[in-house]
Amino acid sequence: MTTFTETKVKIPVLSLSRVWTIAAGTMTQLVRMKTFYFLLIFAVLVAGVGYLDFRLATAASQLETIKKISFGTMDLFAWLYAIVATALLIPRDLEDRTLYTILSKPVRRVEYLVGKLLGVLILIGLSLGLMFCLCMVMLAIKHGDLVSSELIKLSSDPNITQVEIEEQIALINEQGPRKELGVAALASFLKSSVVAAMTILISTFASSSLFTIITSIFFFLIGHAHGMMTDYWLHKTEGNLVIRLATKVMKLLIPDFQLYSFSEGVVTGATIVPAVVWSMGFLTAGYLFIFLLISLMIFMYKEF
Amino acid sequence: MSKPAVEVKNLTKVFNTGNPGANVFKKGITGSYVVAVDNLSFKVEAGEVYGLIGPNGSGKSTTMKVVLGLMAPTDGSAKVFGLDAGDVRARNDIGYLPENPYFYRHLSGEETLKFYGKLCGLKGKVLKDRIDELLDMVDLEGARTRRLAGYSKGMLQRIGLAQAIIQRPGLVILDEPTAGVDPVGSRQIRDLILQLKEEGISVFLCSHLLEQVQEVCDNVGIIFKGRMRREGPLEELVSIENRYSFVLENASPKLIKEIETLVEKEKGVTITEKGNPRTTLERLFLKIAGSKDQDEV
Ligand SMILES: Nc1ncnc2c1ncn2[C@@H]1O[C@H](COP(=O)(O)OP(=O)(O)OP(=O)(O)O)[C@@H](O)[C@H]1O
Ligand SMILES: [Mg+2]
Repeated sequence: MTTFTETKVKIPVLSLSRVWTIAAGTMTQLVRMKTFYFLLIFAVLVAGVGYLDFRLATAASQLETIKKISFGTMDLFAWLYAIVATALLIPRDLEDRTLYTILSKPVRRVEYLVGKLLGVLILIGLSLGLMFCLCMVMLAIKHGDLVSSELIKLSSDPNITQVEIEEQIALINEQGPRKELGVAALASFLKSSVVAAMTILISTFASSSLFTIITSIFFFLIGHAHGMMTDYWLHKTEGNLVIRLATKVMKLLIPDFQLYSFSEGVVTGATIVPAVVWSMGFLTAGYLFIFLLISLMIFMYKEF
Repeated sequence: MSKPAVEVKNLTKVFNTGNPGANVFKKGITGSYVVAVDNLSFKVEAGEVYGLIGPNGSGKSTTMKVVLGLMAPTDGSAKVFGLDAGDVRARNDIGYLPENPYFYRHLSGEETLKFYGKLCGLKGKVLKDRIDELLDMVDLEGARTRRLAGYSKGMLQRIGLAQAIIQRPGLVILDEPTAGVDPVGSRQIRDLILQLKEEGISVFLCSHLLEQVQEVCDNVGIIFKGRMRREGPLEELVSIENRYSFVLENASPKLIKEIETLVEKEKGVTITEKGNPRTTLERLFLKIAGSKDQDEV
């Protein structure tokens, strides 16, 4: 009888192929669980928004409203999907004892966690890409309609010069489907990644998917009230040490999701500062790293 | 020089059974404890089939989970082929089938094996050939592309066994491999275990189905309330020295009557049992499980 262990001892700290196997498995699981159906709902909603008539003064402001609604919905769907999909993964594996069979293979726990997160992130990225395309198509159609109807309206008015017409059209074009809108989608992706990582962390100690979902949504909402709460507490309590510490801890543990709302400006046509985008990227990477690290510390010592 | 496949030394596992959510800050003060495994020691030699038997809640699954590194021992140690149970390298050489396993329901049998094979570092043609071989071995060739959601209990158990041995591990750990499987299915699983043994693979299993344990195991440990009560080669465990039995086939009532009168003539000899033979291991099991005082046995 040979002992196999002696011939194949080397196991890397983090095997990318194992991480990828888990990530791919996660994607298959989520796709076959039909979690993607929410995209259909989104498509219907966006198409509906395109047909709404807001009876706003100008064509440009109509487009702006449509953009706000569709990109807002896209953002909402992205983070909700991040929470729900992530929350379905680990508690379910544990319930089904699938986790036992995976962890009894030469798989490190870090590989399992990173693989799960990676799988979810790829799916969020894909669905955001799809939603973004839907939004852009809808916007392009709407933009085309508005431009042609505006042209007819303006050119039938003898008092309006060609220059004025061009000015009007330029205003509409500004609210049309421009590639800068991609940055808004990127911001949604960054935010959803942090949400997914936070949900993974919660699911390492939660016992059920439902608990994970509710807790994650709760923390997500708190994460939007950072500035508000800090102000409130600090003023009300005049800097009581305990409260100050508590706020610090809260700020450290719960990401400030408000930071990602710079995308709202992008949607309405504000200029994009590349430095801001980069810093958001780094901040997201930092959040992901910290959340993964804490999750791992919990998961490493977890008993099944 | 082969090291024992499993070596468990003075293993103790204590669970805190206080409600983990409510008691998180009071752990150790108010929590109640369950000693699931109590100073347990045993060895599974390389190449043998070892059966751990015991009633529900006696600590069999817990012992296995410690050996797999899914749980840390409270005290004592568990080694697999000389490596610490928590070591990832040890798991290179282990295949595990948990009790009542479920796998990803949305994967087909083939995809399931592929998933686990890749986790073990197999790929390409080697993996493909191994999957073909295993599907054939566990008789699931026909259900290859069907999703596991539609598998029967016996089929799940067989795909689980295939998954466990995908990387040709030196040790296979089976937690009640035949629970809930019909007699035909459990016979299939038994044959597979014997096949593994023939290939020199060590098997560590636990079961309630004592007849089966009797059929496949070389060594048996009987565990009750976390402690080892009896251990040894199956033959020794089930034989009783001052007794002797022969089982007759096609004996006429007349012959039996004659034997009985012959025995009655002999002084000090009594017939303690007659009738159709029964599993002796089962009796031993019942005696141990039935004793209320756990230190008595
Ligand atoms: N995670 C856990 N937390 C608390 N107690 C546990 C845990 N796992 C097992 N136990 C307790 O430990 C004891 C041994 O359980 P174990 O599952 O090892 O028994 P078993 O011999 O496998 O039983 P069965 O034949 O029913 O599978 C039981 O009393 C059980 O309640
Ligand atoms: Mg058990």
